[in-house]
Amino acid sequence: MEPKVIFKDVSKSYKIYNKQSDKLKELFLFNRRKAKQFHALRHISFEVYEGEVVGVVGLNGAGKSTLSNLVAQIIPPSTGEVIINGEPSLIAIAIGLNNQLSGIDNIKMKCLMHGLNNEEIQRLMPSIMEFADIGDFIHQPVKNYSSGMKSRLGFAISIHTNPDILIVDEALSVGDKTFYRKCIDKMNEFKERGKTIFFISHSESQVRNFCDKVLWLEYGEVRQFGESAAVLDEYTRYVKDFNAMPNGDKKLFKEAGLKRQYEPLVQKEPRQKPQGGGWKKAIEYTTAFVLYVAALISAFLMLWNV
Amino acid sequence: MIALSTVLKEQVSHIRLIFRVSVNDIKSRYQSHYLGGLWQFLNPLLQISVYWFVFGLGIRGGSPVGDVPFFLWLITGLIPWLYIAPVLNQGTKSISSKINMVSKMKFPVSILPTIAMLNNVVPFVVMMTIGIILVIVNGVFSGIYILQLPYYLLCMAVLVYSVTLLTATLSIVARDIQLVVQSIVRFMMFLLPILWNMSNLNAVLIVFLKLNPFFYIIEGVRASIIGHTWFFEDMTYTVYFWSIALLLLVVASSLHVKFRNHFVDLM
Repeated sequence: MEPKVIFKDVSKSYKIYNKQSDKLKELFLFNRRKAKQFHALRHISFEVYEGEVVGVVGLNGAGKSTLSNLVAQIIPPSTGEVIINGEPSLIAIAIGLNNQLSGIDNIKMKCLMHGLNNEEIQRLMPSIMEFADIGDFIHQPVKNYSSGMKSRLGFAISIHTNPDILIVDEALSVGDKTFYRKCIDKMNEFKERGKTIFFISHSESQVRNFCDKVLWLEYGEVRQFGESAAVLDEYTRYVKDFNAMPNGDKKLFKEAGLKRQYEPLVQKEPRQKPQGGGWKKAIEYTTAFVLYVAALISAFLMLWNV
Repeated sequence: MIALSTVLKEQVSHIRLIFRVSVNDIKSRYQSHYLGGLWQFLNPLLQISVYWFVFGLGIRGGSPVGDVPFFLWLITGLIPWLYIAPVLNQGTKSISSKINMVSKMKFPVSILPTIAMLNNVVPFVVMMTIGIILVIVNGVFSGIYILQLPYYLLCMAVLVYSVTLLTATLSIVARDIQLVVQSIVRFMMFLLPILWNMSNLNAVLIVFLKLNPFFYIIEGVRASIIGHTWFFEDMTYTVYFWSIALLLLVVASSLHVKFRNHFVDLM
């Protein structure tokens, strides 16, 4: 069976800039003095197959959302390789709805941007509205929606655009029991159709009921990845132990974890420059240079003729 | 070159998406206004009448430019500018204003400036048509020279797209670009042959003003409607314009392709 999602030694680092101008310097001037780096994810490797439901658990700041953004291909990895065989779709609380537009217009907009045409949208519209279940508010601007309504609308749109890989980022935590039930039904439907689901949640019972496998992240590293029950048992024990710690110890523990995220990555092999791109660059620079010279000469001629 | 072909291919293969999103944009933009889509025309009409009053009646005392009444001379330059100016502003913001929406999905970001261009096409075409009719009615029409209008509109499209792709990409890295573009657009109108006739100006100064590629477009559109020159009569200037426009396009597309995977990180 083909793996749907492959992570090969993936790290995601963010540069910590002291000043806004440092960012520009780094971008354009190849600043030699490297900025301090924070590694949201460090050396992550795993494979997920078709039809698998993977729960992602971890404390706050473990890198769950970064991971979901990487799977959704919203952000590129800093090092390593992310291979996605299929069309991913991310569902998060901040789904990217336009606050000024009404619910209906948002549905249209999002579907258009996903490449659906008007007939398809008309066909999906009743089903999306029914699923989102926001009643007459669908004609109101989204800025008037409650957080639950927003997330329901976002969820409804995302699952109707027919993704192969669904990434659910704590979207269900704002819904009530009925909505949760409806989502789980829908996700089970996806599961039966052989689609892959990443389920990111703080609710251990939700993960236990729904997921086949669990990926446990801790301070940007994989602590465990395996069968759901085994990992979750360990995770529950870990959370219990953590909560039982006195406050001072908790703080020390967190600081140690964060400190690790600032440590440089392990360079396994010198990074290879992609081959064969050289001549493309050469063409680009030559064209730009020729055009530049042409502009200079013609400008000079214009002045000369006066 | 490679980046350029990537960007151009994206325009062609998403042409339907561009149209659909643009229609949707226009519909939703004026939704909360009582006068709705009428604003697309009211705003430029108000501007035309004020500039005509101030520069035509006030400063020039109603005297014509050559044989052409000032009002007709004004609108043949002002109508293209009333298209270019808002597109430059909206195009610059096009990526950063939609980044939250498009970042959660795979979306060809390079079509966002095109959508901004398309959003303003309808009032431009309507006003252009009315302008040409007015010119014909008043008997100062250029005749055969109108054939070069499509050429100048192509020039306009290429230049506006190149500039907005560049500014939209750069404004992700530094928001300041939006303000820079805004203020440049505001004063550039006075450095173009839109509101006042430059024939009295020192020839060297005119050449310096001509180095602004938008000069080529404004003068060209006017020459197509009320003028008596072909674009190939001044080959040096035509070569200059295209070198600048294509240089901008090459630079813009390679920067765009280089940075776009990092847009979300950069915000």
